[in-house]
Amino acid sequence: MIGASAVPLVWYQVLAAVLFTIGVVGVLVRRSAIIIFMSIELMLNAVNLSFVAFSRQHGTMDGHIFVFFVMAVAAAEVAVGLAILVAIFRNRATANVDDVRLLKG
Amino acid sequence: MSLEPILFAMFGGTAIGCAVGVVFHRNPVHCALLLVGVLLSLSGLFVLLHAPFVAALQIIVYAGAIMVLFLFVVMLLNVKGESPLLTPGAAKGFGILFALIVFIELLGTVLPRSGDSSRLPDAVLPEGFGSPAAIGRILYTVWLFPFEITSILLLVAVVGAVVLAKRKFA
Repeated sequence: MIGASAVPLVWYQVLAAVLFTIGVVGVLVRRSAIIIFMSIELMLNAVNLSFVAFSRQHGTMDGHIFVFFVMAVAAAEVAVGLAILVAIFRNRATANVDDVRLLKG
Repeated sequence: MSLEPILFAMFGGTAIGCAVGVVFHRNPVHCALLLVGVLLSLSGLFVLLHAPFVAALQIIVYAGAIMVLFLFVVMLLNVKGESPLLTPGAAKGFGILFALIVFIELLGTVLPRSGDSSRLPDAVLPEGFGSPAAIGRILYTVWLFPFEITSILLLVAVVGAVVLAKRKFA
């Protein structure tokens, strides 16, 4: 049997919030599509940490299952997203999101 | 004095430091390697939270498979460091302001309010919590349908990636 956590679980939530915010900054501030993808991964991982911490607090493993699904969706997202990136780079020779604004008119 | 707070500070500090590096480093390859650092320290935190299976998955799937994909694309595209590094002008200020608002909002949700007694105490975990056997048992019973849907999602992603990466469209 494992009792209460030695580290208050709020700290894990705060850490997850900090990591998520850093990811948000990356998406909003960087112009390279690859780095934006990495920042999205950062945010997904922050959410995973939060899931696992809540799982620990409630003593149920459903949070772990959710992390499992988040990882599967992230893998699918990265595969398709990077393929789009490669296609864009092939056509436009750029990975800068400011240069790809055909829809803006 | 248990070892847990020290390990938490170590892994948490590494995660935050590497995450800042991911966002502000110029070279995309370095960014990818720093992101691996974040993922590894998060897997350490998962072990601290008694989620050994998730920690192993984190290393194998994220640090192993997904990051290799990232590095492949970085090298395939041969993107030099962007210039300028950050989005120019007012958009940068607005971006950071918006992120700060998100952070404050998140903290407001996460931090316990004073005088709030509804917060649950930490649960007492049974033996084998977070082990592959225990996770497999609920994954293949309670969560069986979402699990099967995941396989379809991955199939769609594989087809989509192949179609998109083909040299000629139709």
